[in-house]
Amino acid sequence: MNKLAAKYLRPSQIPTKACHGCGIGMIENWILQAIDELGLKQEDVVFGTGIGCVGRQTFATWGGDNFGATHGRALAVATGLKLAQPDKKYLIVVGDGDAAAIGTSHLIHAARRNLGVVVICEDNMGYESTGGQFSPTTPAGYVTNSSPYGMVEPSFDPCDVVKAAGATFVAETTATQWHQTVKIVKRALQNDGFSFVHVRFPCNENFGAYALGTRDTLKNLEWIYEHTQGRKADGGATDFVWETGIKHDASNSRPEFTKLLRDMNARVRAERTAAGAR
Amino acid sequence: MATITRARVAEGLVAPWVEWERRCPKGRRLLEAGTYALTEGAIAAGCRVFAGYPITPATDIAEYMSKRLPQVGGYYMQCEDELAGMHACAGASLGGLKAMTATSGPGYTLMHDAYGWALTNEIPLVVVDAMRVGPISGITGAPGQGEFYVARYCTHGGNFETIVLSPSSVQEAFWLTIDAFNLSERFRTPVTILTDQVVSDMWEDLFLPDADEHLDFVVPRKHNLMMPFYPLGGADLDVPPNIIGRGTGVCVSAYTHTEEGYDIEEMEAQWAQTYRLVNKIRHHRDQLSRYETIGLEDADVVAVAYGADARTVKTAVLEARRQGLRAGFVRPITLWPFLDELYERDCHYVVCELNYDGQLVREVMRAAPDRAKVHFMGKSAELHTVAEVVAGLQGVARAGRIPELPYIWTEVR
Ligand SMILES: Cc1ncc(C[n+]2csc(CCOP(=O)(O)OP(=O)(O)O)c2C)c(N)n1
Ligand code: SF4
Ligand SMILES: [Mg+2]
Repeated sequence: MNKLAAKYLRPSQIPTKACHGCGIGMIENWILQAIDELGLKQEDVVFGTGIGCVGRQTFATWGGDNFGATHGRALAVATGLKLAQPDKKYLIVVGDGDAAAIGTSHLIHAARRNLGVVVICEDNMGYESTGGQFSPTTPAGYVTNSSPYGMVEPSFDPCDVVKAAGATFVAETTATQWHQTVKIVKRALQNDGFSFVHVRFPCNENFGAYALGTRDTLKNLEWIYEHTQGRKADGGATDFVWETGIKHDASNSRPEFTKLLRDMNARVRAERTAAGAR
Repeated sequence: MATITRARVAEGLVAPWVEWERRCPKGRRLLEAGTYALTEGAIAAGCRVFAGYPITPATDIAEYMSKRLPQVGGYYMQCEDELAGMHACAGASLGGLKAMTATSGPGYTLMHDAYGWALTNEIPLVVVDAMRVGPISGITGAPGQGEFYVARYCTHGGNFETIVLSPSSVQEAFWLTIDAFNLSERFRTPVTILTDQVVSDMWEDLFLPDADEHLDFVVPRKHNLMMPFYPLGGADLDVPPNIIGRGTGVCVSAYTHTEEGYDIEEMEAQWAQTYRLVNKIRHHRDQLSRYETIGLEDADVVAVAYGADARTVKTAVLEARRQGLRAGFVRPITLWPFLDELYERDCHYVVCELNYDGQLVREVMRAAPDRAKVHFMGKSAELHTVAEVVAGLQGVARAGRIPELPYIWTEVR
């Protein structure tokens, strides 16, 4: 066990049942590094997950308090939890299906409200725990187990969606960008408002095997890396480019949602006291 | 046939608020709506979070809550849909605040996911379903009783019991809401208040105990700060609910869990979890009986109804007795777990409910000694009239069947 895992995780719950070479564990390790560099303790952070590989392979690994919501609902639960426990940091670790398909409405409205949580959307470009069907983030045209002739739908970029909805911190990174990811997660945790971190990683077992034709972790990581650069190893241009980095930073520029409610309560109560109401 | 006067009939209400009313002499008398009573009952019970989505006839609860909660240091949240509403309530409750949501059929259906999550994780909360006639959107301003079974099975997967209560007056809605919160705390489970458009919209006399009167019958929120978070295989009551945010290391998930809250895929664990979820309720049914009866000691025919519909049915029973019939009345307030013991008498039953498919009647058929003597008077979108029910009771007493009446369905297949 590495030092960060020993400090923050539950020994009984790691290693998880994730496939060999899966990026989920590596990304979690980078998140721990960010937490550690900010000097946060186990009891400072509540760890919330969804359902899918990303949710299930991280749930209960965190040594502090954990919740694993039903598919797509982690942010809905977090909205209530944050009201009751406003001083905690919330790490909402979810898949692309959780965040950008079944739970999209919660994502948009949490961003609009500026709910004080950090969403880490670990995007493997499909529904991998159900065997690798396409999702709203699967690149158009790619083959998955439910798009054997290539996905006909256009995909969307969840970063654009949350930014338009009012998120105060939005960033995109990938499992090939260690230092950038740590830096981004740190910044996300320092925003007292809605932070969205989009991290692409390869699912070797499904997306790799069916869309990219290989279960080789390094080859799949390389495919991701090439798409962050727009250039393939052989020098040719990739079919599309992912721009990574911080995409929008308005951290701490507007009040956090539950603070707005607390402030309103204080005002209402002060006015009532002044008016002599019981 | 001897005339039976009302004075000779045993009437009884079995509910904790019979005693509470005696203990709260000081208060205010108001003319208010059922939705107002449901709101004030929740506030009195310590509810500090409401998260929901407006829908007739529960919208007024949301509006009252938006006004009242900030005054008492609570939070009103209007969510993007009912899924979000009930999940947010579950989150708030997990964080240590008592929470409630309110809806009608179309929203109640959307809550099943959250209901199951709260139920399996033993998270206390209260949900009001003000039923209107359906299916689906039906008629927004007309009463229905179509969610009798939906409330019992308000999530999928089986292996659980549910607690469902139904008030029949504005005053009762107030006390029953406090009761619902108490039961949700003691049993660590969501509790449904299954009311209807009539009770929620109607205005009636309402006594509210003084706010500064200490309501010592309110069960306060406590926190479970230690393992086991899930006392699997046990049926104990009054185990404090788990709390997130206090560094206990609790784990809460959608899957079958260990006593720490870790996901597990083993028969033993599944069995232990089921044992607890089912038996914490079954083994304590004596603490869940709330009902009203009239004349069960001598009745030849007993009318059964709940919610608003029980009001005209009760009047009809009293009228039938005045006319010389040995009629009785059962109004279950606890709908689930079903109170089989109310139907032990070997006599005729006339079950009145606001649906044509027959829901409550099926349970009475199951519980009564003689299924052939259980009769159905289904009506839709409108309360039974006193005359209809008297005719039904007379028909059964004289000819063993419900006479043909317009808009009344009697067939249950
Ligand atoms: C309401 C509901 N619908 C469908 C499922 C089945 N299901 C489980 S995980 C999943 C997809 C997960 O995709 P994602 O969130 O991207 O996570 P991944 O497995 O790819 O990490 C689906 C469809 C479910 N558990 N609940
Ligand atoms: S199926 Fe894919 S995403 Fe899931 S654990 Fe395996 S490699 Fe990771
Ligand atoms: Mg995915």
